[in-house]
Amino acid sequence: MRFFKIEKSKMVGLAKRLSETHAVFIPARADQGYLRFCKLDFRSEKQNVESIETLSFWGYRNTIIPPKEVFFPQTEVLFTFSEQMPELSVAIQPLPTVILGIRPCDARAINFLDKVFINKDTQANIENGAGNFNDPYYAEKRGRSVIISLACNNPQSTCFCTSLGGSPDGEAGADIILFDLHENLIARPVSKKGEEFIGEFRDWFKEPGEKELNKKNELVAASRDRMRPIEGILNAEAKLDNLFADFLWNEIHMKCLGCGICTYLCPTCHCFDITDEVRNKRGRRLRCWDSCMFPSFTLHASGHNPRPTYRERMRQRIMHKFNYCPKNFREIFCVGCGRCVRNCPVNLDIREIICRILETKNAK
Amino acid sequence: MDEIEREIRGTVRKLFEDNRIGLFIGYIKGSLPLRTTPGFINGLAGIETLVWNSFCRNNLTVYLPRFFAPDPRRKEAKLPSIGVLVKGCDSRSLVNLINENQIPRENLCIIGVNCAGLVDESKIQDSMGEARMNEIIEVDEEKDGIMIIDEEKHRMKFKKEDVLADVCLNCKYPTPVLYDILVGGKASQKHLSVRKDDRVESFEKKNIEERWKYFQEQVSKCIRCYACRQACPNCYCKLCFAEQTKPKWVGTGNDISDIMFYQIGRIFHQAGRCVDCGACVRACPVNIDLRIFTSKLVKDVKELFDYEAGLSLEEVPPLANFKPEDTQGFITEP
Repeated sequence: MRFFKIEKSKMVGLAKRLSETHAVFIPARADQGYLRFCKLDFRSEKQNVESIETLSFWGYRNTIIPPKEVFFPQTEVLFTFSEQMPELSVAIQPLPTVILGIRPCDARAINFLDKVFINKDTQANIENGAGNFNDPYYAEKRGRSVIISLACNNPQSTCFCTSLGGSPDGEAGADIILFDLHENLIARPVSKKGEEFIGEFRDWFKEPGEKELNKKNELVAASRDRMRPIEGILNAEAKLDNLFADFLWNEIHMKCLGCGICTYLCPTCHCFDITDEVRNKRGRRLRCWDSCMFPSFTLHASGHNPRPTYRERMRQRIMHKFNYCPKNFREIFCVGCGRCVRNCPVNLDIREIICRILETKNAK
Repeated sequence: MDEIEREIRGTVRKLFEDNRIGLFIGYIKGSLPLRTTPGFINGLAGIETLVWNSFCRNNLTVYLPRFFAPDPRRKEAKLPSIGVLVKGCDSRSLVNLINENQIPRENLCIIGVNCAGLVDESKIQDSMGEARMNEIIEVDEEKDGIMIIDEEKHRMKFKKEDVLADVCLNCKYPTPVLYDILVGGKASQKHLSVRKDDRVESFEKKNIEERWKYFQEQVSKCIRCYACRQACPNCYCKLCFAEQTKPKWVGTGNDISDIMFYQIGRIFHQAGRCVDCGACVRACPVNIDLRIFTSKLVKDVKELFDYEAGLSLEEVPPLANFKPEDTQGFITEP
């Protein structure tokens, strides 16, 4: 696998070209005013994408809404139905997808979601740990996608990817990884799809010089140096095996408000709810994001709620991410992106919770 | 600030020593530079972690109803005695919760703190000019302002009145209206003379199409995380109307009319109850301008019923009461 080079201005041209045949998603502010992955549309006059002509997002830290929404939208119509129609009608994504500028932590998270949503027989290159179920809505979009990630030159103090096996230049989940050298980008294909993509658009890329490659290495090393890893997170699973009934859960949950910010902004969280919306003689079935932190998440029809207080729900969240998913999918379902840390209204910091867990002495 | 902090710690220490409370809810140091976080102290050991500064924005009264919610599993258990630190706005939430029978007054020990206003950290970030995309690494609150150091080692100083939270600009009750013990001497009311937040008046002058457009733009940002609802002390319903399925009042998707219905519904459920503490707007991760709606609601209630929520334990909220002189205009002149 080799390195390639492309000027940023040329990358804009490539993105334009791609947007004619692909749904290209880039980090942008769009109408809502906050960063999320938006579909590029150079022809649209209405699209309010910040400096679309220059794709000026290269220096961004990260989006608020994680890129999981490209393959797993917050609201998705599964099918529509009516009394007149003989069949259900299912929406199909017409164009293949490119996600451009996703961070390595988020790309890694997409890999994790693949294990949840895609049958291991369908995706031959998914590593051990994929599940048995195949979600066609996710799989169909994901199967025809190319992930072009952007290595981090400037991690935030709330980033902790290296504590969890990730890295500012991590390759997991990406087909091509880009390195920002200010005027130029270094591109490195890291999967077969990535190689094919570069092959298809070979004319757009040049060979980088040694000086440029050294610069890239410097930037990567500088990024890595800024991270202050939390030691021992990888031991959390074993620790948690014996802590289900521990007193520590009585204290950890107390300031949680029970909103869904941490779960909705988490690139690996994937719980959803399915509801029907019917009006007169027509309807649709929706899948929408749901959150285990909502008090009524496990409310049964009988009225019983097996997770009745914040204590059980907080325990569930931590156990799911750091114990159950490692058992089910062989991955800790946290990539250290820091969105929950930055956006929690009460500054409940998952890093502090992990440290607390690692320090807890097992009650025998 | 440091004196008030010491006063708070000393007061709480005495409460524990005298066995007046089993738990104290206050603020402790946050894990990020411009934040504090709610602290739950249940003994003398935790006292030294309590802090007081211009970043104590959370409304702590939101936690109180959970301790007193009826629980069939502990019907016979004695209700706890809880101490809580409240600013002026928080104390009004407390009055409201007591009036609505969500917390028993006798189980509370209220430490009121004279508040000199709180800082909105996004205003600091936005005022950093070219460095506004930089992360703030260190904060120091000094007598004449807030000093910050960013990740590129730039030092900047901000006058507190330039970065006050919007909700503090209109504050009429910096001294708590209900308390057992008051700390903090006389609140500096300096910030009350700063530019008044008259957005509601100027917003009202716009025509209905403009107002509807603004409303649509704002709520289209909503991701239905319900942080506004969870942060609001008044939202304590066991099952929120937005999550009911029988009947399904409002859809859970991103249909703009569903989002609007949720937002309008939640805010209007605050009529006569909202004290404009700003907890909702503080919690919102996508910066929806919720206060244009809540402050309009507060204004309307004042005009229609001559009532402000959360001031007196003796008052009955206007929507829980009928007086013959109540306005009938909405029927006779809709």
